[in-house]
Amino acid sequence: MLAFVQVLTSGIAIGCVYGLVALSFVLIYKATETVSFMQGDLLMLGAFAALGLHAWAGWPLAAAAVAAVMAVALLGAALERVALRRALGRPHLVAVLLSFGLGMMMRGGVASVPAAAQDMHRLPFAADTIALGPLVLATSHLWVVAATLLLAALLAVFFRYTRTGLALRACSEDARSAALMGVPVARMHTLAWTLGAALAAIAGLLLAPVTFVHLNMGLIALKAFPAAVLGGLTSLPGALVAGIFLGVAEALAGLVLPEGAKDVVPYLLLMLALLLFPHGLGGSRGTRGRA
Amino acid sequence: MSPGAGKPAARARAVACARGAAPWLLMAALALALLGVDYAFGKATLVATYAIAGLGVVVVVGQAGQIALGQAAMVALGAYAQAVLVGHGLPALLALPLAAAVGALGGALASLPARRLGGLYFGMSTLAFALIAEEALVRWESLTHGAAGMAVGAFTVAGWRADSSLAQALVSAAALGLALFACARLCASRHGRAWRAVRDDEVAAAACGIDPDRVRMQAFVVGGALSGLAGGLYAHWIGFISPEQFGLAFSFELLMLAFIGGARRLAGAVWGALVIVAIPQAIALLRDVLPGDWARAAGLELLLFGAVIVAVVLLRPAGLAGGEVPRPRRPEA
Repeated sequence: MLAFVQVLTSGIAIGCVYGLVALSFVLIYKATETVSFMQGDLLMLGAFAALGLHAWAGWPLAAAAVAAVMAVALLGAALERVALRRALGRPHLVAVLLSFGLGMMMRGGVASVPAAAQDMHRLPFAADTIALGPLVLATSHLWVVAATLLLAALLAVFFRYTRTGLALRACSEDARSAALMGVPVARMHTLAWTLGAALAAIAGLLLAPVTFVHLNMGLIALKAFPAAVLGGLTSLPGALVAGIFLGVAEALAGLVLPEGAKDVVPYLLLMLALLLFPHGLGGSRGTRGRA
Repeated sequence: MSPGAGKPAARARAVACARGAAPWLLMAALALALLGVDYAFGKATLVATYAIAGLGVVVVVGQAGQIALGQAAMVALGAYAQAVLVGHGLPALLALPLAAAVGALGGALASLPARRLGGLYFGMSTLAFALIAEEALVRWESLTHGAAGMAVGAFTVAGWRADSSLAQALVSAAALGLALFACARLCASRHGRAWRAVRDDEVAAAACGIDPDRVRMQAFVVGGALSGLAGGLYAHWIGFISPEQFGLAFSFELLMLAFIGGARRLAGAVWGALVIVAIPQAIALLRDVLPGDWARAAGLELLLFGAVIVAVVLLRPAGLAGGEVPRPRRPEA
């Protein structure tokens, strides 16, 4: 029973990371109708930026983390302005290749720094454990869950009560009508990529104490695709919930299934979900999911 | 009077054919002169094999207008089918159609979950299929020897071994010719017309009595068969296959191949393959030119490859082989 609860919490924690990356993907997809294949690389970049600022430039950890998220967010905005904007309204393949190429450049750029490319690094926080009676939980897992809850609440408030959030939602629902109502659609697209990049970077920071910081940590973002699809592709809460669901399903599969089967569980669930619930577990048939 | 003069159409076609072939012959001669015979044939083998695999992507992406993010899995299935069958003593020439059939089956399975949804969902289901297939090849050790990989013998037909680079180039060129011919016939038939109809306007196609679900899946099956065939040949040329050769990076290389060459035309696969095979060579050359530490950096190759993708997408959106720029995507119905 104890082992079960421990596996469950680690599943929820990893699921929160999947959910955050899926959230960033859906945010971008909904607002701009473009597919981002570089969320994993943004995640990796965020973790490395914080690591660089903290370990090599000597900044305090909190300042380094905030600066890293801001830097990645700015990078997202800049890339939208310079390149990703050109994929608007073109076939999905254009955005897929463009963002994949940009992601490759980020990975190549980090790998070109000899100190970064060599091995695993760690950010010095949340490395210890908490004992609740007989139950031992990793602090890093609790951090991930708490931060995800906080972010979800902040995003909900942003989308519901602020003018900008409402404008972004309007733009996702119907860009043409939003433009007619005076919403600056182009600026909203930039904002969507900025938010998406920032979310990915935060996911990277949260993942850092769990899997350490290394070049291929961005591969985790592949699991965000099943989460996004399971959530209905256009639903932000759906993406987050589906991410957590996948994390738990994967962790439980690790308990009962043979070695290696665990990693394909999200993809099998994706295929099954497409066959049985083609509109996602969060989306409803016929209408588009709401933010 | 020459015998062809009575048929101006046939003559014009012959001239167009010759004009089309001239740059190829020139390039082939140049490659032979510059690179040395053995090396050039080796690269030609690779180009032809990549072109067959890319033809599968061209059919799915360019003809049927769907998105395939896991085409490397079909190449992997073909390669492993060929390796296992030849390992059990089947003649290579007999095993090749079976490898293509396994690839076709993979294409059907990968596209099955999304067949009613279309659009981006095909990307998701093919991506998931590719990741599952890669893991399955690693884990099914009794058949595939897992991550350790499998050795594959030379391509033999009735006692003749294709182990020189010239023989390999000839076999893959013949296979490419056959594949191009079959594809051209298919694209000119009602099936090809149905693909293009679905690509251009699904609703209008359905109104004309075309079943978009079936047509899209056909494209994935044909594309999978082509990539499976390429995999079967690739296994012989490379001599050793392991699951990680056919990862996500290879899928994107094939997508990029189709995009660079221009997915609207079948010849685009050949042009794209030429560029894809040339890029690592160009990067190696560049490495010699660049000064000091930069040239040794591990990430340089990734960085430059990514830069090439971005540059091509931004600067030549219709691919090198040209053709019209694809129309803006229709808003979802």
